[in-house]
Amino acid sequence: MCGIVGYAGRRDAAGVLIDGLNKLEYRGYDSFGIATSDDGIHIVKKQGRISENGSSVSGLTGHIGIGHTRWATHGVPDDKNAHPHTCCTGDIAVVHNGIISNYAKLKRELIAGGHLFSSDTDSEVIAHLIEENLNGSLLEAVNDTVQILEGSYAFLAMSKDDPGIIAARMESPLVLGLGDGEIFASSDMTTILDYTQNIVFLEDGDIASVSSDKIIIFNSGNQVERAAEIVEWDAGAARMGGFAHFMEKEIYEQPEVFFNTLASVDDGEIIEEIKGSSGLRVIACGSSYHAGLIFRYMMEECSDIPVRVDLASEFRYFRPVSGELVIAVTQSGETADTIAALKQAQMHNCRTLAITNVLGSSVTRVADYTLYMRAGPEISVAATKSFIAQLAVFFQIVNHLCDGRYNYMDKMCHQVIEEVLLLDMEDAVSLCSGAGNLFFVGRSVFYPVSLEGALKMKEITYIHAEGYAAGELKHGPFSLLSKDTPVVAVCTPGNSRTAMLSNIREIKTRGAPVIGIGEVDDPDLEDIVDVLIPIPKSPVSGQILAVTVLMQVLAYRTAKVLGRDIDKPRNLAKSVTVE
Amino acid sequence: MQAVILAGGEGFRLRPLTRSRPKALIPVGNHPIIEYTINALVENGIPDITVVVGYRREQVVRYLNQSELDINVVVQEKQLGAADALKCAEESVTGRFILLPGDNYIDSASVAQIKSAGNALLVAEHPQPSNFGVVTIRDGQVCRIIEKPDIYPGLTVSTGVFSLDETFFDNLNSLEIPEAVNRMIRNGTPVRAIPTVGWQDAIYPWNLLKMNSRVLKSLSACRSGYISRGATISGSVQIGKATKIGPGTVIEGPVIIGDDCVIGPDACIMPDTSIGSRVSVEPFTYLKNSIIMDDVKISSHSRCVDSVIGEGAVLSDHISTVTGIFSAEDSGSGRLITGEFGAILGDRVSAAPFTVFKHCIVGNNVSIEEGRLISGTVKDNVVVK
Repeated sequence: MCGIVGYAGRRDAAGVLIDGLNKLEYRGYDSFGIATSDDGIHIVKKQGRISENGSSVSGLTGHIGIGHTRWATHGVPDDKNAHPHTCCTGDIAVVHNGIISNYAKLKRELIAGGHLFSSDTDSEVIAHLIEENLNGSLLEAVNDTVQILEGSYAFLAMSKDDPGIIAARMESPLVLGLGDGEIFASSDMTTILDYTQNIVFLEDGDIASVSSDKIIIFNSGNQVERAAEIVEWDAGAARMGGFAHFMEKEIYEQPEVFFNTLASVDDGEIIEEIKGSSGLRVIACGSSYHAGLIFRYMMEECSDIPVRVDLASEFRYFRPVSGELVIAVTQSGETADTIAALKQAQMHNCRTLAITNVLGSSVTRVADYTLYMRAGPEISVAATKSFIAQLAVFFQIVNHLCDGRYNYMDKMCHQVIEEVLLLDMEDAVSLCSGAGNLFFVGRSVFYPVSLEGALKMKEITYIHAEGYAAGELKHGPFSLLSKDTPVVAVCTPGNSRTAMLSNIREIKTRGAPVIGIGEVDDPDLEDIVDVLIPIPKSPVSGQILAVTVLMQVLAYRTAKVLGRDIDKPRNLAKSVTVE
Repeated sequence: MQAVILAGGEGFRLRPLTRSRPKALIPVGNHPIIEYTINALVENGIPDITVVVGYRREQVVRYLNQSELDINVVVQEKQLGAADALKCAEESVTGRFILLPGDNYIDSASVAQIKSAGNALLVAEHPQPSNFGVVTIRDGQVCRIIEKPDIYPGLTVSTGVFSLDETFFDNLNSLEIPEAVNRMIRNGTPVRAIPTVGWQDAIYPWNLLKMNSRVLKSLSACRSGYISRGATISGSVQIGKATKIGPGTVIEGPVIIGDDCVIGPDACIMPDTSIGSRVSVEPFTYLKNSIIMDDVKISSHSRCVDSVIGEGAVLSDHISTVTGIFSAEDSGSGRLITGEFGAILGDRVSAAPFTVFKHCIVGNNVSIEEGRLISGTVKDNVVVK
């Protein structure tokens, strides 16, 4: 859940590390630190954001170094809990991403053995264990250390007497980049792509010895070869350009992302696998879960294959049914809960399919099949274009299974997104920004769309927003309605329209202001709502995209009015790589 | 040397084409107008570019983000004219700079003429100078710029491309740019007038066709996509990736076709035609001297000549355009304006079979029922029954 970077080469390590950590800030931004080595180990670490405090490391010298940006799990975010952590003498420095689940026991043993701990983190045990095991070679000490560690980790270690970095990976992301006489390590390849496109993806259990000119990788004590892959992601896509926030930039990229993803999903083998399965089970977290729910509505309308959608963190409490195809949806490909659930499904003989945005990410190594979303790097913590790309993948699957029934309509869908991006919604924004509570309601497929809308709203505006199936409101939440709780209600043409209109009337009767989202030229709706946001006429697949994007824009503009930190909302991180 | 490009204005006289984008972003030869300006600067070794955005700024930024150049973007919050836009860029400018309109065509040779000239203005001859600032010149120096006069002393007009330095901002205080230049001249700072032929503006939508055929003249042939062996292609023709050209299709350059299009079989694309991306042109359809923007669908047996078709238009079969003289009153000046063209269609117009467009301007999202004859001007969102 944190981000780590490492560098060995000819440049000043501190500069490269700070640059990398800036790009990794989406993975956590409670505190940061770096360590470099020349004639000894130098460390700077601090609570706060690297983008605001990065200059404090300018005094560090050395051409080898490691760095870390933290999202606190064990120990509050402060200076002493920031990484890198060191052993008792300060000669070994470690940065770690993941959770060492047996750290408490290890820590007790180490303290009994005379080690002095200076932080509350689980990560510090790694430094002390390496110190305990060190007998000449740092590589061997790391190798001995990982035998006793339980849990998930990607860590980088360096010592005063060793001319390189040791990298180790287990169930947390870690990639290496091969430059010209320099080598990079990072949790995420986007930090490396400015320097090199040659990326080595480490596997679970790998321990790599990294120096400026070579990498030697071991797994279970044997040397292994991991070929470098050329990654052609545009590093420039991680630049904000002239937009005010990454989220705004990513919202405006959605027409292309949708079209490109739609055009790229064409894998006959996977379609056959889906056709042959007794059922589909989508597992995901957050926005990806909502995409899965939308998929269910579309799929079950036109095919006999049943679809179940589960939250990845809850999946383990159910028994997977063999013969089902399990579809894991994760933007980063590193979501710990989703990967754990996928592995569990495999143990029950389920075939697995991953839908992810990141080439070579952990989930692609676990799943039997992978479909990629063509969203490009997504920097904003709130998912926007990756959600649209997930929908594009799902739409295309539905398309293939339902004999092209949605084909032509989907081709026009990206234009609907363009149309929505031109909408002005000032009245709705001012209604939302003044509210302390909001409801998002819809029926049928617009129920999960509303869930996603509410999620976007709460994560970036900090306004309490709740998504509900419109029919469920009267089974409880009605008691919360008042003139201070605006309701965003989706009412588009289709079989849910009549019921939705009466739901809106019921809401109005309780005095709550209603922001209606419906098709243009709908006088029935216009008469009963306080504010109407019209979406262009289109088939249902276009409506889904239109309403989704509209809700993103509504959340974005509301957050902007409220002056929130839109790209890095408090307490959140982009890829949740811990359970 | 720096450059400041003004791309904040809507260009309302180009409506309906400016609903979703400012004038600077209207595609001509499949590239937004501003791209020609940026390329001309880069070719002259001026990559330090500031673009002032305003109207539909997100669209401009989105476009600029695709560029490999690191272009500085400045936002003009309210559309208060060119002088205010330039004022927004004041902090980004030090020393000499070239000021250019982002919504006029300018070629590289013209930029080369002005870049080392000291204080200067590019001027050009235009048959209708009333739409521009008319420039009087003595001994190669600008005497005065007269904005949009009814009675004009000559045919020489300002292109809006100036070479200035940062002290110009002192003259600007709440004056329009030509006025500020006049004041600068009165105060004893001479401004050279440099004549050019590498400039063109589009005031009205039909002027875009002339600009389109101009930029297509320098088109280099380059073909990717899937081209049937039964297709006949001659002249300089550019075809984008993943575009399918069906058998029996005839393409006579200069023609540019974007990505992911389906053309033909048996379609006929004649010279001076730009076709955007994801466009489909069905069999027996004839296109000539036209701009077809992205996501347009033109069904079979149609004829589209001397026309601009906005994004996402869906034209059914047997549709034709009839070229002739269009005349109307300019909404701003009240002058009578005329132009000769086939049809100007806004974004997402849908037309049922057998529609005839008789030198008309049709607004955005207009839908037309079967067999109608359209002439004159149709407003946005109208249903023609």
